Amino acid sequence: MSYKIPMGPYHPGLEEPYKLDMICEGETVQDVNLKIGFNFRGIEHLAETRNYIQVIALMERVCGICSNVHTLTLCQAMEQLTNLNPPPRAKYIRTIVAELERLHSHVLWAGIAAKLMGFKTMFMTCFELREKVMDILQAISGNRVNYAMNCIGGVNRNIADPAAILVMVEALEKEMVKKVIPIFTTSSTARSRCAGVGVLTQEKAISCGVVGPTARASGLPQDMRRAAPYAAYAELDFDVPVQPEGDVRARLLVRALEIMESCKILRQALAKIPPGEVQAGDGKFNFTTGTATSRIEGPRGEVIYSVSWKQGSRTPARVHVRTPTFANMPSVRWMMQGARLADTPLIQASIDPCYSCTDR
Amino acid sequence: MSVLETISEKLGITEPWVEQGGVHWLEPGTVNVRDLARTMNDVKARFVTITAYQLPKDEGFRLEYHWDIDGLLMGFPFQLAGNSIESIYDLCEAVDWIEREIHEGFTVEFTGREYEPLQLRPGAKLGVNLREEVTK
Repeated sequence: MSYKIPMGPYHPGLEEPYKLDMICEGETVQDVNLKIGFNFRGIEHLAETRNYIQVIALMERVCGICSNVHTLTLCQAMEQLTNLNPPPRAKYIRTIVAELERLHSHVLWAGIAAKLMGFKTMFMTCFELREKVMDILQAISGNRVNYAMNCIGGVNRNIADPAAILVMVEALEKEMVKKVIPIFTTSSTARSRCAGVGVLTQEKAISCGVVGPTARASGLPQDMRRAAPYAAYAELDFDVPVQPEGDVRARLLVRALEIMESCKILRQALAKIPPGEVQAGDGKFNFTTGTATSRIEGPRGEVIYSVSWKQGSRTPARVHVRTPTFANMPSVRWMMQGARLADTPLIQASIDPCYSCTDR
Repeated sequence: MSVLETISEKLGITEPWVEQGGVHWLEPGTVNVRDLARTMNDVKARFVTITAYQLPKDEGFRLEYHWDIDGLLMGFPFQLAGNSIESIYDLCEAVDWIEREIHEGFTVEFTGREYEPLQLRPGAKLGVNLREEVTK
């Protein structure tokens, strides 16, 4: 006999408010229906009432974890509409903050995944390390969540002493190599809870159009930093980790390897950061009529903004945001079919879902 | 032949691609959105998103469909005289949520598919993103 188990919108196994209606036969999940929208805020519509300064602050609040990627993508789109090109130093600073954000996001996810595996010690270790990433972000921006770094034509704050930040990054990398990476890649607990669990085949990953680490863990080597470089990524050397298995362990390994790649990018960017201005233009913006689209690789995958403007207007005519979780979440249905009920919190968490982004 | 030329040829469109605002745009002309989706499947393009625009007065809606091939972002604008367009859900699974979101936000009907509520709660109205809803 099959029966339905609702999980969410408020449940200890979920970090944010969404709902999974699971149809089960015994302990096996047969099918899943996902529901979102419990905290839908209408931010896209609200953006049409905000001027070109206010809209940056508004879109920074789409997400509390990857807030910087939203302002970066928005500002890149607005720069196309104002014909402004950020100075080289600003592009490096954008890259540095984006990679620090990826680091803290991946370590946060690793901690949550560890908690869902029943690996509480690892959870504490990850959160301790994440604090150190947050300390670096605070040292750069003065903020720990919404960094307010991006503006049209560059960044709001300079990195006065890249060498000091580099020392902090190197110390962090050592701890990552010593603690986090070995546990996630070699521990029997991680292997037994994750290997062969929640498989998303490459065929299904293509069909669902998944992005970011979820796609790369199903063997798809897509990464906007490589495919359509922005900021300073074209000048930096890094690998795009790909795992073919498509299970939770593959998603774990991809993020673990990406932590190392982020450290590699940070070391290069901090060493190569060129001198000069951090903002282009004089602070007065002349928007041309039209639509501009910008994409970046956020911690969860491709973020896309389409921004429309009418010349002479202070407010956008339309701002459309497609967040990575919006693309990835439908694939959870296929990951969960045939899974054990006890594995479902970890499976849904393995895409690193962000419902703040999704309920924008 | 470049991938963009291949797509133009498959669709039978002679109009040139226009690169603007970070996107390679192609006016679909008389090409049906379902034929476009089939062509995108043939060239193994990845569906990215649909952006909906409510046009002024009673001019209807414009839907911009985006696909990607290896970092090349393509855009195809469709003007809707009314408020309906054929769904491509059966051809492209990835459009499911965005078709449902646009249906709920802009009351656009994607014909040939069934919807379950995505973001709407019981008792909520369709059309939260329509301008007239805001001015009420």
